[in-house]
This record gives sequence, C-alpha cells and structure tokens, in this order.
Amino acid sequence: MSNENVVIKLSNINKTFRIKDRNTGSVLAKVSNIFNPNKSRAIKALENINVEIKKGEFFGIIGSNGSGKSTLLKIMTSVYQPDKGGEIKITGDFQRLTLATGFDNELTARENIFLNGSLHGLSFKKIRIIFNSILQFAELEKFVDTKVKYFSSGMISRLAFSIAVNIEADILFLDEFGGVGDASFRKKTEQVFNDFILRGKTIVHVSHELDTISEYCDRVLLLDKGKQILIDKPDVALASYRRKVKKDEGISLHTFLHNETTRRD
Amino acid sequence: MINKISSLLIANLPKKNRLERIWILAKTDFKKRYYGTSLGILWALINPIFQLIIYYFVFSVFFKNDVPNFSLYLFSGLILWMFISESNKKGMYMISSNRHLIEMIRIDKHDIITAGLVSNSLALIFNFFVYFIVAAFFDIQYNANLLYLPLIIFNLMLITYGVNLILSIIYVYLRDFDHFWDIFMIAAFWANPIVYNESILYQYKIVLYLNPISGLIINMHNCLIYGKSVDFELLQLNLIFGVFIFIVGIFIFKHHSKKVIEIL
Repeated sequence: MSNENVVIKLSNINKTFRIKDRNTGSVLAKVSNIFNPNKSRAIKALENINVEIKKGEFFGIIGSNGSGKSTLLKIMTSVYQPDKGGEIKITGDFQRLTLATGFDNELTARENIFLNGSLHGLSFKKIRIIFNSILQFAELEKFVDTKVKYFSSGMISRLAFSIAVNIEADILFLDEFGGVGDASFRKKTEQVFNDFILRGKTIVHVSHELDTISEYCDRVLLLDKGKQILIDKPDVALASYRRKVKKDEGISLHTFLHNETTRRD
Repeated sequence: MINKISSLLIANLPKKNRLERIWILAKTDFKKRYYGTSLGILWALINPIFQLIIYYFVFSVFFKNDVPNFSLYLFSGLILWMFISESNKKGMYMISSNRHLIEMIRIDKHDIITAGLVSNSLALIFNFFVYFIVAAFFDIQYNANLLYLPLIIFNLMLITYGVNLILSIIYVYLRDFDHFWDIFMIAAFWANPIVYNESILYQYKIVLYLNPISGLIINMHNCLIYGKSVDFELLQLNLIFGVFIFIVGIFIFKHHSKKVIEIL
C-alpha cells in the first residue's frame, strides 16, 4: 500500500467515555452533592482501531447496534477526540452526509437548499447555478416555496440526496445514507453512489443496509463491541457479520425464552 | 501572538464559504425570530419601546431626574442593554441547541456563536435606525465625536462575543445556569446608568471599573446625545477588558468545545 494514496489514516484509536450515573449537570446538584462526589464509570467505546483508506475507495463500516460505528465516524470527522495516543490523518477536504440534517422545518425548500448547501461547503454562487437541477433531481419543482415541515419524509430525503450529489468535498462520510424508500427512490440512491464513484470520491459508508455495502464497497470494516474484528472484502466481512448476528440472536432469544418460561412457573 | 489567535479562530475547516455560512445561519435565525410573525421585525422594537415607556413614566414623573434629553438617554441605553442581555441569553443556548449541526455537519463551533451575534446585531442596527429617526424630533447636535460610536460598538461586540463563548460552554456543564444568569442580569441592569443619571455612578467609581458596560453606556451617551468627547479613562479600560474577555473566551472555547460535545 503506497503511502501517497492513503487519504484517511487512523492509528491506535481508542475512545473511552466517562459516564456519570447520577445527573450532576447543574449548579444546585453540584452544591447539594458537595460531600458526595459523583463517581463516573469508564466505558470503552472503541479499542485499538487501525485503518488506512485509500483515495477513491468505497469503504464500508458495519456492526450491530452499540458496536461503535457512529463513535468511529464522529472521531473521523473530528467531532469527538480520540483518547491520548490515537492519531488521525485526513488528507483533503471532507464532509459528512446524513439524510435531513441541516434542514430547518420552518424554512421553505428554496431557503433550505441554500442553508444546507452552504453548511456543506457550497458557495452561494455555485448553489444558484445548480439550483434548478437540484429541484429537478428531487422532483420538487412544484414545492419550491413550501415550508419543509409540510414535506413527507420521502420528499425530504430526496432533497437531501439532490444536494448531496453536488457536494464538492473529496472525502465523504455517509451515515445511514440511503436504503430508505420505494423502488424509484432506490434508483436515485444508486445514481448518487455511482456518481460519487465516477467522480473519484473517497467514501466511508456506515450502514445497516447490507445490500448497498456488498454492492458498492471495496473493503468493509466489521466492528463488534468497539473492537476491530476484520477488514476485508465485503462478502467475507458480511458473512462474518451474519454469523455473528445469528449467534447473538440465538443466545438472546434463548435467554429471553428461558426467562419467560421461568417467570410463568 | 496574533498568529496564534488567528489560528485559534480559524480552525482546520473549509474556509472557502465561511462568511456565507455565518451569514445564512444568522439570517435564518433572524428570519425565524421575526418574519414568521405578523408584526415582523417590529417585535425587535416592541420590547425596548415598552420598557422605554414604563421607565420614562417612573423616572420622570415619580422620581424626577435632571438628565437632559432623558427620553433619548433612556432609549439609547435600553437599546444597548437589550442587545447585551439578548445576545448573552442566545449565546448561552447556541451550542446546546445546535447539537445536530455540530454532530452531523462539519461546522466550526465558533461560526454558530458568531451567527447568533450577527443575528442580534441586525436587530441592534434596526433599533439604532429607529433611534436616529426618533432623535430627529429632538434638538440634538451631532458633531465629530459621533465617530467614537463605531469604536464603542466594536468594544461592545468584543465583550459580548467573549462572554457568549464562555456562557455557551458553561451552560452545557450546568443546565440551570441560565436561571442564575437571569438573576445576575437583573442586578446588573441597575449597575448601569440606563434609567438614572450617570453622575451617580461617578460617586461610586468602583462600579464603573468593575462593570465595563456602564462605561460603554456613558460614552455612548456622551458622543451620541450630548456631542461631548468620550471619557478616555473608561474607554481605555473597556477596550482592555474587551480584548481580555475576547481572548479568554476564545481560549476557554477552544479548550472545552471538543469535550463539551460528548456530554451534550
């Protein structure tokens, strides 16, 4: 793996959250508990993650709920800081895309396109140029001056997609992006992904939607309880993930049923 | 030093459309606050106007005072005070209420605070605009001393921005801090020569030294209403305080803004 091609390099990433069991987030609570300081528990959300992602790669991250996917994504996008010793190196401009964040319900579609586009790094000039194509792609020409709060969730997602295709960053972090809606909507998702790939963008895709993962990803990282299980081709990673899910499901279903029966007795 | 500060201000984020981004956030905030309502931006005025009427009655009818042009004195002071108290209150909630933006979109947290201040500044500009219209009906002579006004406003912005940065962090840690702040602001109102003669404060100079806002208001009255030069001692003091609180705010914000996200 030549070094120039690596655009995202995570080395030795650990993340520990300190969780307080009692709420002391106020002046009054702090004063009333002055002789009874709050103990905090350390929870390890991520342990020793090492990833290198190359330019132009479509990189998937999968794992069950609570496996640390979102935490890892937040660390990659520098929302959270890793524990001491961890290092993140990202070469190039990046943006994180989620469906329908940065939309303001009280604003019209027109205003939201400007707001959302601008928040994702597009200049007003650029937005004005692509404005009509955004509306066309989202099939919302008739609702340009309607407040977004009257939109269906499908309409909002379509709008988010259409803005997303135009984002100029080299690296895109997709968070549960796509995988919703009907057949025609799925077609749009495919269009967007193909467009990203055509334009040589580096993509990190976090999703439960295993179909898109297996279809588009070059490599997949499987996380389990904060640990990096493997990084491999999608079919290998997915197989491992499915085995894992099946095993967990069996255990929890078994204990659940067992408890149920004991309770009835 | 300057390099260090500017590097603190301009984090490692896409800079290309930064000003536009601040502007659209501020505009959105301003629009949502005023345009959705039938009276629109007039709401920005209604609060100070009603306070003006109330205080005017109390302090010129019941408690007589000898302030020349008392109504303008009161109006300008109230405009300034409303700006400070409203932007502080807004700034305090800015980080916690924009959690989704900070977590989901790559955005510099400074920009969110700045946008809040810009939004409030739009209301300030509008209020001053109305002030000058009202003042046209009074016998007010403007002279070159009016040029101090932008400096005073700049000083005001420095202080407000610095305080907003600090408050936004404190509020995440202490969710009942806003109540304490409200009480503090009620007390602080009376430490400023808004409804009473500023000569009283000169008898208690300690208040002038401890409360930079009082100096700003005195100097604003001097150059805006009375055509006098500013009190240079207070001006210097306020500028030093403004720069100080601005830098402290930036450092605290820089140090804590990443940690704060985790407990939002």
